[in-house]
Order: sequence, then structure tokens, then C-alpha cells
Amino acid sequence: MNSLLHPLLRLVLTVFFVMAAAPVLHAEKRIGVIMTGNIPYYGAMHETFVTELNERLHGAEKTEIILQRPFPNPISWSNAARKLIAFDVDLIVTYGSPATQAVLHEKSNIPLIYAGVYESGGHADVDSKNATGCGFKVPLSSIIRYFKSLKTLSSIGIVYSGVEEDSVSQYQYMKRLAEQQKIKVEKIDIRSQADISKIRPANPDAVFITGSSIAHLYLDEILSDLKKKHIPAADIFPDDSESGLLMTLFQPAQPQGQMAAEMASQILLGKKAANIVPHTFRDTELVFNLVEARHLDIAFPIHLLIEATRVIK
Amino acid sequence: MSSHPLSNLDGFAKSSQADHPPTQYQQVTYLSAAVEGVFTKPSNLNLCKKLIGCLLICLFSVTALPVSAMDQPEELLIGIEPEHNIFDQMERYRSLAAYLSDQLGVKVKLTIMSRYGEVIKRFKFLNLDGAFLTSYTATMAINELHLQPVANPVNLNGESTSQGYMFVRKDSDIHEVKDMQGKRFIFVDPATMEGYLFPLAYLKQHGITDINKFFYRFDFSGSHASAIFAVLDGRADIGSAKNTVYNRLVNNDPSIRQELNILAKSSKAPEITLCIRNEIDPRLREKLSDILLHMDETSAGRKVLKLFKALRFVKPNRADFVRIEEMAQEARAAIAEHGK
Repeated sequence: MNSLLHPLLRLVLTVFFVMAAAPVLHAEKRIGVIMTGNIPYYGAMHETFVTELNERLHGAEKTEIILQRPFPNPISWSNAARKLIAFDVDLIVTYGSPATQAVLHEKSNIPLIYAGVYESGGHADVDSKNATGCGFKVPLSSIIRYFKSLKTLSSIGIVYSGVEEDSVSQYQYMKRLAEQQKIKVEKIDIRSQADISKIRPANPDAVFITGSSIAHLYLDEILSDLKKKHIPAADIFPDDSESGLLMTLFQPAQPQGQMAAEMASQILLGKKAANIVPHTFRDTELVFNLVEARHLDIAFPIHLLIEATRVIK
Repeated sequence: MSSHPLSNLDGFAKSSQADHPPTQYQQVTYLSAAVEGVFTKPSNLNLCKKLIGCLLICLFSVTALPVSAMDQPEELLIGIEPEHNIFDQMERYRSLAAYLSDQLGVKVKLTIMSRYGEVIKRFKFLNLDGAFLTSYTATMAINELHLQPVANPVNLNGESTSQGYMFVRKDSDIHEVKDMQGKRFIFVDPATMEGYLFPLAYLKQHGITDINKFFYRFDFSGSHASAIFAVLDGRADIGSAKNTVYNRLVNNDPSIRQELNILAKSSKAPEITLCIRNEIDPRLREKLSDILLHMDETSAGRKVLKLFKALRFVKPNRADFVRIEEMAQEARAAIAEHGK
């Protein structure tokens, strides 16, 4: 009996230890990332995030990044969030407000770090003890001011997406500012590619493009239509192609990627998301595109050019 | 013989003395005549002495000529400190220069000084006769170059003074000096009271002497409007600029008032002062002052004032410059600290 029990006990103990050690052997942390569409602004943020995270962890934690690039619509965002929750990742990172809201909607216990979220009232509308991150704020009034310095502005078109919360809040804020200054507002709500045709009948003096994911997915088409009608456009995302936008006023992507990586490393090393204070970036860069100005027959006064962080010639 | 040394000179400078106060040229003639008087005892030497006296007069007169010419310039070269939009600024000053040329009988020419801090250098380099200077540069020029303050323009709001505003965006979470730590400050130029001396003096009063350590970064915008735009756009967290520019921008765009919060204000100082070189003939300086101080009394003058965007000119108060110097001294400790 004793001789039979002994090997059995050894086997049970071995299995027990192997099982107990299994999580340690598979200590690799999995990070789920949701980056809407193929938007260069979020791409730059993510690139910085990955580089910074690797540097910060110094190989102390093996990490695997599962990247989701949903199409910008509510069902795709929701599916991407559910997939990552089903994968049981250790951390979810989101870029932009719609992806962040989709994860929060699922009420998962997985910690969430957000970046690239536009903060309308000074703080991101993210209310969860499992979530922290960094957002940005761009003073939209400056865009109206610079447009007014360049040409008569009696009407402004606002390109936004009614299914993206932050884009809607930017539209509302800009509309209020414009109306205070007796500037007529033409709203251009883009929810799908078909909606781009809405731009064709519009004929405002200038167009402001909100931080909408779907608008940026079809940005080239939007700008092409505006160009045909000699309508200048401004954006709060940088213009990586340096073509089509007259001016951009944006918060650079890299600091947000760096901060998201810093927060991620803290969470992976055991800190609770609730104990990490969210941050709002307020520093901006102002870029004027003189090539586009020439196409539009707009002359930039020197006193305006000196305000720019960078001038594209 | 008359006791007056000029009595031996056959009235050469007599009429000159009677008509006008003595110039440097005339002082030279007094000196020569006095020299002559010492040697007039022996009668046989009189002719010789008179000849020597005449030669001395000629020699001294020739050497004194360039100085005399500087007192009565054919034109006045006046410097202007650059504003945000120098084209608008030149347009405003051009009409004033034309009016002054006409009234003075001396051509008044304008030149823009490339930046605020160059006043002292430019005066020496370009031989400027005067300049329209902002409060701190005027104080420096009065102290270092002994310029004479002649007149201050009164702006369309009825003010001849300006004050510094220190401001932040309303949504910035910066409410007092301690909140400014680690933030980005935008000054205007080291030679401005409103855009540099005032914030430094204010910070020093609140215990901040090393702005290098206290701020994450600080920059100079080069103009008051640029400092305001930098904070509005989020390119800086805190800024300082003069109230007159701030008010002008707010009048053009009322949304600015809704977006900025003024945290501190400096005391008032003369915004612009026309300062003239001390060596300029006092009569010309007086005439210039008279023309400016009374130009609102004629329709031609009022027309020029309208283009210049001023109501009138007023006489400067020297005590104002003393107050600015006191502020400069307070700020200087902080300047020395961060300038290490």
C-alpha cells in the first residue's frame, strides 16, 4: 500500500507544482490595443508607446501586443473591445475617444489606459476606477481667429461625426464660438463614406475638421472636394502628408504615447489604475501651409506667420 | 573800454548775443575775447594782439562748427520700437512724421529699431536724434543716454499709460504663483516693463528668484500680441503683456476675454514717450514739444492724430520713469539669478 501510495503522491505533487508554476512560466503580459482605422495621428502615438514601453520594462516583463484596428463605427469598436476582453489581456490601451468609450461600455475589470482623447471640459469623460490615461485639449477659438486674420469669415463648415462623442463636443463648442461672432455654421456630419457627398453642396468660407476618426479616414477625399472649391481647411490633427490643410493646431502625438507607456509600465508592475492620476496635455503646435495658401490665393501676413511653430513652404 | 570783452570786436557777436541765447559758437568768441583782454596793456602791441585774437576766433570757430551743426540738424532721425504689425505701425507714424516735418521746418525721418533691446546700441550706431520708446526702454535711454522726454501720446481710450497683465487660459488650473511651477512662461522681450520686468518683479515678490528652475521653459515672443496668442493657442501656459494690446485684441475678438484669466496687474507707466537727444538745440526740442502738445487744437493736427490713433499728446512726468527704475531694480535680482 505504502509502495503504491508513494509514487502516486509524488505524481500528484509534481502535477500540483507544475500547475502552480504555470502562470510564472507564462509570465508574458498581454496588452490589447485599439487604434481606430489607419489614422496617422494614432499611429504615431502607438509607435512611441511601443518604443517607450520596451525601454521602460528593460525585458523585466515579456509583453505581447494584440493590436485591433476597427473600422470607425460603433459596432466595430464594440467588437474590438469584446475581443480583447475575451482574450483576457492584462491591460487595454485605447487611442481616441470612441475606442475608449467602447471599452468602458463593456464594464470589464481589465485596466484601461487611454490616449489621444480630446477633453472638452478640461477632463476626459472617462469615469471608471479601472481607467486612467492622458488626453489633450486644443483651443478651437484660435482656429477661428486665424481664419479671420486671413479672410472674411461669414460662414464656417464643421466636419464632424455624429457617432463620435469627442467630435460632437468639438462641433458644439465651435458652433457656439462661431455664433457668438455672428459666423454662420454649416454642419457636415460624416458617418460613412457616402456622407462625403454632403461636402459638395456646402460652400462655407472655411472648413474646420474635428478630430473625427471617420472624417480622417476619408480626409483625402474631403480635402480634394474642398480644394476644387478653393475652401481653406483647418484640423486639430497634424497633417503628415503636408498637403491639403491650410493650418493645423494640434497636440503632438509623441508625448501622449510616452505617457501612456509610463502608465502602462506602472500597471504591469502592479500599480492600480485608480492610483495613477490622468493627465491633460495642453501644449500645441501651430503649422501653416504656404503651399496650400498659394493654391487658395491666400496671403499670410508676416505678423501671422511668426506665430507658427512651423511653416510649410 | 567797455567791461564786456566783446566791445573790442566791433560788434561781431554783439547782435548775435542780443537776438539769441549764447550757443557754443558764441561761447568760443567770449573765450577768445577774454584771452585778448589780458594782453591789451601796451598800445603798440594792440594790433598784434587783435590779430592773434582774430586768428584764435577763426581757429576755435572752425573746430566748433561740427558741434554747432549737430545742434541745428537738417533732419531729425527718429527711431520706433517694433510692434506686432510693423506695416500698420509705419503707416501710423508716417503721417505724424510728415506733419512734424511741415511744422518744424526740419525733415523728420523714421526708422524701425529691429528689436526692443537695441535702443541704446541703435542710438549710438545710427546717430538717432530721438525715438518713440516704451516705458522701460525710455527709462534706460533717459538714464544711460540722457535723453529728454518730450511728449506722450494719449490713446483713443484716453490713456497715455499702460500696465502689465499676467494671464493664463481660464481652463488651465493655474490660479496663483505656486501653480506655475513646471509650466511654460512666455515673456515679450527683456527690454519691456509689461512683458518682462513686471512678471519678474512679481515672481520675486512671491519668492521666485530663479525662473530657470521654477519654470519648465520660458521664451520671448518678441511682441505683446504674440505672447497673448501663444497662451490662447496653448503654446505657452502663462504669459505677460501690456494691457493696451490685450484690450485691443479683446475689442477685435471678444472670445479672448472669455478664454483668458488675468492673474496680476502691474502699476501704470507711460506707454510711449518721445525722447530726444540732449544735444539737440533746446529751441528745436521746445518747438517739437509745443507742436505735439498743441496739435489737437488744429484741424490739420487732429486729422494726423486720428491716423496716428491718438487723441492728443501730453507732457511726460519724470516721476513715472523713477518708478520703472525701481521695478527694474527689484527684477534685476531675478535677472542676475537666472542669467548665471
